[in-house]
Amino acid sequence: MNETTFLEQVRQNQGIIYKLVSLYANDAEEKKDLYQEVLLQAWKGWHTFRQESKFSTWLYRICLNTIFTQQRKKHRVEYKESLEAFSPAIQNGVFINEDVVRLRQAIRQLSETDRAIISMHLDGYENSEVADMLGISNNNVAVKLHRIKQQLGNLLTV
Amino acid sequence: MSVNKIWKDINDEKDVELTSLIKKGNWGKLASHNPLQSIKKTLLMNIAWTAIICIAYMVIIFYFNYWQMQLSIGVVFIFSLWALYTAYILYKKIKSTVSSSASLLSELKRHHQSVTNWINMQQKIALFIYPVSVVGGFLLGGVIGSGKSVEALISKPLFFYTLFGAIIIVVPACYYLAKWMFTRSFGKHLQALQENIDALESEK
Repeated sequence: MNETTFLEQVRQNQGIIYKLVSLYANDAEEKKDLYQEVLLQAWKGWHTFRQESKFSTWLYRICLNTIFTQQRKKHRVEYKESLEAFSPAIQNGVFINEDVVRLRQAIRQLSETDRAIISMHLDGYENSEVADMLGISNNNVAVKLHRIKQQLGNLLTV
Repeated sequence: MSVNKIWKDINDEKDVELTSLIKKGNWGKLASHNPLQSIKKTLLMNIAWTAIICIAYMVIIFYFNYWQMQLSIGVVFIFSLWALYTAYILYKKIKSTVSSSASLLSELKRHHQSVTNWINMQQKIALFIYPVSVVGGFLLGGVIGSGKSVEALISKPLFFYTLFGAIIIVVPACYYLAKWMFTRSFGKHLQALQENIDALESEK
């Protein structure tokens, strides 16, 4: 459980941080701030990580708890995703297609808590796990998820 | 293309600049912008300044041999000690690191409660300390400025009228100024936290 192990685990799961931060940050600067804050909070809480759960689940929780409690810009700025904004990703050999941009923009139009629910659902978490992470009932998750899917469907068909 | 497939593509995204932050020994260079961390820093500054001010009060109490001034400064001193103690307790109580075991809802509530507690504490302290501080400051300023004794100063009705006027103006002004500053610094943040708490608690 040393720094090298921690870094290795974070590198393997950095997609979680990047993805969640991209759903909440209002601009590139805020994105970097949130990314840094998540890394810092993960490092500070590293000693609390028990091997019983998966590192990705632990990191997911840290990410959500950090993003939601961080002082962010109130007004939702339309974060226009252009190819230039993804130039580092393109250099990395990752192709950013139009569908990715559309899905991310549709999710960004949901409320903050709904964004968390749908991303956990799409990441394969069971309703009970989502309920546990958010601190709400299973039933509530199911109801919210049903509504979110409808909303998302409408947004994607526009 | 299915939503799940597109989501998989999102999972594969990386950012070279952000990835470069994940490196050994980088933690000391990363500054936390967590609001509770800022509040803890402010509390620590408050504690340090209150301690310095308490020492100054003690010097004044021993230096000026007027019982009226010693009494008013003594009261301010006791209140300042109380403020220092309250600030210290709150400082110890606030956990600025994000919990990895608590649910999002309980983290949001804890965060909201910590910020609200701090604001309430500051406002309570302000309401109790400002009036006695004005009296102490008035007596001290009067004695040093005019070179007269406290008895001579308080024998004039004008002194009381001016003191009363100063309390009426300064105390509410400071209270509302502090309230405005808190709203400006944390109002939007508290509102956002509350909105998310309400959204999670809503069964709809």
